[in-house]
Amino acid sequence: MQATIEGAPCFAHIHVDLDPGETVIAESDAMSSMSATLGMEAKLNGNLFSALIKRFLGGESLFVNHFINRTGEAQRVTLVQSTPGNIVQADLAGNSLCLQPGAYVASTPGIHLGVRWAGFVSWFAGEGLFKQVVSGHGTLWYGAYGGLLEREVDGEFIVDSSHLVAYEPQLQLKLQLAGGLFSSFFGGEGFVTRLVGKGRIIIQTRSLSGLAGWINPKLH
Amino acid sequence: MDIEIQHGPGNAAAKIHLHPRETVIAEGGAMIAMSSDLHVETTTHNRGGGGILKGLKRLLAGESFFINHFTSGDHGGNIIFAADLPGDMMEYRLDGDTLIVQAGSFVCSSSEVTMDMSWQGFGKAFLSGERAFWLKIGGHGQVVLSSFGAIYPVEVNGEYIVDTGHIVAFNETLNFSVTKAGGSWMTALLGGEGLVCKFQGQGTVWCQSHNESTFGRALGPLLKPRS
Repeated sequence: MQATIEGAPCFAHIHVDLDPGETVIAESDAMSSMSATLGMEAKLNGNLFSALIKRFLGGESLFVNHFINRTGEAQRVTLVQSTPGNIVQADLAGNSLCLQPGAYVASTPGIHLGVRWAGFVSWFAGEGLFKQVVSGHGTLWYGAYGGLLEREVDGEFIVDSSHLVAYEPQLQLKLQLAGGLFSSFFGGEGFVTRLVGKGRIIIQTRSLSGLAGWINPKLH
Repeated sequence: MDIEIQHGPGNAAAKIHLHPRETVIAEGGAMIAMSSDLHVETTTHNRGGGGILKGLKRLLAGESFFINHFTSGDHGGNIIFAADLPGDMMEYRLDGDTLIVQAGSFVCSSSEVTMDMSWQGFGKAFLSGERAFWLKIGGHGQVVLSSFGAIYPVEVNGEYIVDTGHIVAFNETLNFSVTKAGGSWMTALLGGEGLVCKFQGQGTVWCQSHNESTFGRALGPLLKPRS
């Protein structure tokens, strides 16, 4: 399998060249174009329980698409997320990564998409009671609206709640006010997420809710 | 004319350098800057007539009713065109061949090219969510097209599938039909892909990486309802 990301950081999309017998899995409606000889099958996103949780509490789709190359030569499928923005590739070797709802784009079959109880803190932050944990061996592609920044946390770090895309599972999340009561609500920051521990996080430089917040007062 | 596409794929603009007494035609509203001595004329058609009817057909194809003709004087001139949405642009040089262009993707062209509507049929239009009329651009000359997202070409030799809403343009040597995604209706519906366009033949289809309708559906629920 050969995958190249083009159009980054504004309009990242992934060209995946599947060798004979290979499969790539992608979120619902992620296919931009593909070879007509590739097989395409909709399957539940994990087992039924986790698929339902992901659908109704995590904001992901119930089904994912499997693109399967049953021919004798390499075939291409081009995958994309629903919003403009960047996509990155992560190679997992037994380790795992927590993804925010909507960040998952595609993965190889060795990757498991699971859900884990995230707690009420996450729910109050508008991010669902469960969090999506991606684990296994293989390649994962995820992305978000805007550019993506990587940051190594050692100790504590604060991220605006709508800008966190992914984080390593050993990090603990705590929801808090950005400052005092006054600065939290009048300074425009509201709630922030405090990450505690040691691990890697990915932040998006724009947020859809930020864009909507800018457009809304202009609608009549 | 010489065409320079800048700032792609995020926010592409086409900078056109016109030779003396040369004309570029463009979609109404596409011009963002130009030399002050260019002569501007607005009509409902390219050359060769057509009048109001052609203007109405342009409207049906999702283009604006009017097209603008920009003509340089004795010293040539510059003009810059842009699109409404963020995205990419591409230049294509026609050499007697014909390009079928998605509604709304046309930015500008040299005045020598011929432009007409290509009827794709109500059935296809209804099923694919695309329009019934597409632009058919032929003759000899250059044309600039825009997209939502980056543009990538796919060389088709046999069959290739492009999701509805991702087509920018294709060679007339290709045919497309609207079909279900995957092997079964189950997959098409559950997998969220629904209907797709299947291209057949030999030629190039230029795809846009992103789909403005999909983005609209992601952003829409966050917007306040119309009062």
